[in-house]
Amino acid sequence: MPFMIGRAPIRRTAKYLSAGKLVLKDKIKIFSVAYNIMGKNNAGAKDFVFWYLPQIQYKNPDVQVATLKNLTPTPFIRCYLEDGKQILVDIDNKSKEDILEHLLHTVGKSKDILEAEAIAAEKKDNPANFGAGCDRACMCEIYGQVPCSGVVTLPKAMRGKFKNADR
Amino acid sequence: MAHKMKDVAKKFLLLGQCVPTVKQNATKIRVKRLELDENLLMYFNKDEFYYCHDPNKMCKTGDIVLIKMLPHKLTKLITHEVQEVVYPFGDVTDPVTGKKVAKARYREDIDREAELYGKLQSAFDYDKAPARGWQEGKKDFTAKPTYTGFHVFDEKDPYAI
Repeated sequence: MPFMIGRAPIRRTAKYLSAGKLVLKDKIKIFSVAYNIMGKNNAGAKDFVFWYLPQIQYKNPDVQVATLKNLTPTPFIRCYLEDGKQILVDIDNKSKEDILEHLLHTVGKSKDILEAEAIAAEKKDNPANFGAGCDRACMCEIYGQVPCSGVVTLPKAMRGKFKNADR
Repeated sequence: MAHKMKDVAKKFLLLGQCVPTVKQNATKIRVKRLELDENLLMYFNKDEFYYCHDPNKMCKTGDIVLIKMLPHKLTKLITHEVQEVVYPFGDVTDPVTGKKVAKARYREDIDREAELYGKLQSAFDYDKAPARGWQEGKKDFTAKPTYTGFHVFDEKDPYAI
C-alpha cells in the first residue's frame, strides 16, 4: 500500500473502496449526514462517516454525499429523492454497523438486484462478437475461418470476377 | 438547450449553501462535492458554484438550500432554481423532533436553563426578534461579497475593506 500514512489508511485502498456494500437506489440524488463533533450520541455517526462514507461515494459516483456538522443536537441522515420525497433516518446513539444495516434494508439496492445488474453488465461484452469495438476486428482473424483476402488470394471459385466472366 | 445525460445525472438535485453575490436576479449557491484523487484514492472537498433562479428571494446568505436543474437554461449562467430552503441560517429546525435548535442545544432547553439562573431583560428573544434582513445595508453586510478597496473614494463603500 503506497502512501499509507494517516489514520486508518486502509480506507484509501481500491479493495476497501470497491468492497462497499451500500449501493443507493437510483432515485436517491443526495445523501446527507448531519452529526456533531462532540457528544457520545454522535459516536456512531462519526464512525459511520469515518469508515463507510468513502465506500458509499465510491459505489455511488452520481450521488452528492454531503456532511453537515454541528447543526442539531441529534445526528440524522437525510436522503433526497428526485421526485421531491425525503427519507429521514435517526441515528442517535446507534453504532456504525447498525446504521449501515438499517440503510442497506431501507435505501440500498437488494442483493438480488445487484446480482442481476452484474450479470446484465457481463452479457454486454460477448467475446464471440467481432467488428468495431470488439477484440477481433474481422472474421478472417478467427481460427478456422477463411484467411484474409488481402494476404492470401481467394480461390477462383470464390471470386466474383471469375464467376461472372463470359467464357 | 437541453442538458447532457451525464450532467443531468450528477446535477439534477443538489444541496448547497447560499453565498454572497453581486448579481441581482440570481443567487449564488456553493455545492460541496467529494472528488476522488486517483493517486491517493482519497476524497477531497470540491466547491462548485451555481447561479440559481430565485424569484421570491427566499434564500439568504448562509442558508442551506435544495436546488433543482431547470429543463432549459434561463441565461448562460443560470442553470438551476432554488426549490426549498432546508436549513435557514440561524433558525434550524431539527427534522427528527421538529423543535427549533441553536447549534447543539434545543432552544427550549436554553430557555429553561436561563429561567433557572435568572433571565436577563437584554437576553435575545427568538419570538420577538424581527425577521432576518432588517439590518441589511446598515449593519448586515453579508448579502454582497467584500473586496479590497485599494483606492480611497469620497463615498465610503461598506463592502470595500
